[in-house]
Amino acid sequence: MKSGALNGIRVIDFSTSVSGAWCARMLADFGADVALFEAPDGHPTRRLAPFDDTGASVVAEYVLANRRSAVVDLEQPGGLEAIHAAVESADVLVCSSLPGELKPLGLDFGSLNQLNPRIIVCSITPHGSSGPRASYPGNNLTTAALSGWASINGLRDRPPLKPGGLQASYCAGTMGYGSVVSALLARRKHPTGRGQFIDISELEVMTSTFAPALLTSQYQDEPQSRQEKVDMSTGPVPVKDGHFALTISRPHFWRDAMNVLGLDDLAEDPRWATSWYRKAHTEEYVGRAQEKLADWNKMDLFDTLAALRVIAGPVLETDELAENVHLRAREFFRSPDGGGPELPGPAFKMSATPSHLVRRAPRTGEHTAEALHEFSGLEESAIDGLLAAGVVR
Amino acid sequence: MSGPLTGYRGIVLTQAWAGSYATELLGMLGAEIIQVEFHGRPDSWRGSYDRPIPETVRDASGASEIQHPWNVHPNYNSVNLNKQCITLDLTHPDGIEVFKRLVPFADFVAENFAPRVLGNLGIDYDALRGIKPDIILCSLSAFGNNGPWRDVPGIGGTIEPISGMSSLLGYEGGPPLNSGQMYPDAAAGLNGFAGIVSALMHRETTGKGQYVDLSMQESSLAFIGDAMLEERMTGNVRGRLGNRHMTFAPHGIYRTADEKWVALATETEAQWAALCGISGRDEWLTDPRFAGNAARKASEDALDAEIGAWVAGEERDDLAGRLSRSGVIAAPVLDAHEVADDEALRERGFIVDVEHPEAGIHPQSGVPAQFSDTPATVQRYAPLQGQHTREVLRRLLDINEEEYNDLLDGGVTGAGPSN
Repeated sequence: MKSGALNGIRVIDFSTSVSGAWCARMLADFGADVALFEAPDGHPTRRLAPFDDTGASVVAEYVLANRRSAVVDLEQPGGLEAIHAAVESADVLVCSSLPGELKPLGLDFGSLNQLNPRIIVCSITPHGSSGPRASYPGNNLTTAALSGWASINGLRDRPPLKPGGLQASYCAGTMGYGSVVSALLARRKHPTGRGQFIDISELEVMTSTFAPALLTSQYQDEPQSRQEKVDMSTGPVPVKDGHFALTISRPHFWRDAMNVLGLDDLAEDPRWATSWYRKAHTEEYVGRAQEKLADWNKMDLFDTLAALRVIAGPVLETDELAENVHLRAREFFRSPDGGGPELPGPAFKMSATPSHLVRRAPRTGEHTAEALHEFSGLEESAIDGLLAAGVVR
Repeated sequence: MSGPLTGYRGIVLTQAWAGSYATELLGMLGAEIIQVEFHGRPDSWRGSYDRPIPETVRDASGASEIQHPWNVHPNYNSVNLNKQCITLDLTHPDGIEVFKRLVPFADFVAENFAPRVLGNLGIDYDALRGIKPDIILCSLSAFGNNGPWRDVPGIGGTIEPISGMSSLLGYEGGPPLNSGQMYPDAAAGLNGFAGIVSALMHRETTGKGQYVDLSMQESSLAFIGDAMLEERMTGNVRGRLGNRHMTFAPHGIYRTADEKWVALATETEAQWAALCGISGRDEWLTDPRFAGNAARKASEDALDAEIGAWVAGEERDDLAGRLSRSGVIAAPVLDAHEVADDEALRERGFIVDVEHPEAGIHPQSGVPAQFSDTPATVQRYAPLQGQHTREVLRRLLDINEEEYNDLLDGGVTGAGPSN
């Protein structure tokens, strides 16, 4: 077995959301033994588009990877007992049910803590487990709206724009992961090794990532708004074969970039060296610079500026990234040991305890018997009984 | 301090957003964070020393008479809560010596310079390990610590396009966009925090340190990993979807009668039925174009037009409230001032009023995690430049007043522009 930072940690993934699944995915990647306990109709991410030829959800293939799956029907007698038995020997349980849904099931923190005082329960929900919005449903769209992000993304004369993809899910899942590991560290130091309840709100995590715009808006009269238009001072602009961001910060970036574009007068005038001056005089340079940019191919310009150590960003699409020379050199894409499609990741590389991708996302109930044996401590005969009764599948 | 990481200490060289946010999260969870700022080359998020201070900052409630531009920059002050700040000129032999004397007191070091910088300063991972064998070092850089682009610089605004994120952000049929602020920094900050606590866990169980190498390009890619995998599994290159969802419809942001915006979506038929009930458009329930999610997704343009026409006659907060209470996914689109005033976020203790000695009292976002047994809270405003140099050097290194003054006089430490 390869060395992982979380070797020996046993995790029950009881999540039903992308954020919860991502938290469990990171726990698995860094060495924990994770079992997904899903309902008979499967983890909800399995029904998220897009799908491949076999009908497998791409999202599920990504966020459910690296764990085993057991199907347990909580609505049948014996189902809850099987989960409770697993809780007794688990270190962590990740869940994403709205507050109020778990208590009737006997899966709220109070009940779990009685079964196992060492357990760390991480709840990741749209608005957290308390407060006026706790029972409201939410998703990546509403967290974008309530965190402030939508109000600054996009263009002023168009609708506010949510971040691309499932950002609130990945951010909250990652915050959940870091919080679980922090609680594991605290548990090691505590004389009785007790666990605790961690309450993550997707909205609060996204608002935390909005912090600079939040405070900038407080330091001025007006809230930060969306851009009136896209120009090179704010984002990618057209080049010959796509789009390119030349987001200048330091003085030498400006000088070298303007020289590369053949705009020597802008390069050499010292007034242009500071960002606040450029911001105040945008109209005087963006038109000229963008005209020059339009003559370049994006990777030629990137290579030219990279040699001068000037920051620059060609807009790359997913097929270009899949073949990207730098990412390939860093072996950023890898297939699970047991086979399966190439997954991107991890988000960070650890020298002594590298992330390890053992298995692709399980089929629903692929490991029911072995997970129940190992996690719930059930004997083969008991598992056979539950299987025959359809309590587990 | 009372968070789960109480007792750990980081001596960190983090700056700007990504690195500072990673170590702020550690500090919010209770670790002691001593941020070492380059004297003579300040944190870029403090702005330039000659930056004019806006009137609104001078007039803020609780603002001090004397304000230094570098202590009242909202960017810096937004991502450095729960930290102490010391300044050292790390290009000066005495500065680097003081830094090296601090390392044994650290559980971890973090930095987000360009990859060659630590080596140039003589404090790369091997050097730090020579000082403290079980040290953890986390580096956050644009492209990571190896590979052909290792030495190419980058910031959030260039990583967003080169990680594919910009290709997914924008209106349908429109050009790729960058986010309203440099989002890849935030993603990297969360992952840097995750990397450091992972390394602490390994050290607790084995006694060994390690090196954590975070590429902002990669941490961004991990957060659009499903789009990357879509290309691998289906060959489809995902484009820009505006506010739409891959699966569900409706899923959008619509203009309201009071010239604001409301976000709404349905993921179940029960939510759709509730939405139809609230809209009073009973005909939607029987319209074959909207019968089931698959049909709605296939007729999304028509659906959006109908919903847009209905929402245009409604008030934002009233409509969002009615939808939410009925179990429909909905929310008002809030601007940054409204977020700061949000009663629900304040009731949970997430938005807190932070008093800063120069900038005054302002609401800020707090700890994005609640711990039942080891509660984590906002304890300190973002430090003034060099605010803690004297105290930290005395406490950890037993440097006396005379030695401290020598460092000041020698230009090794201090605040503001060096002489």
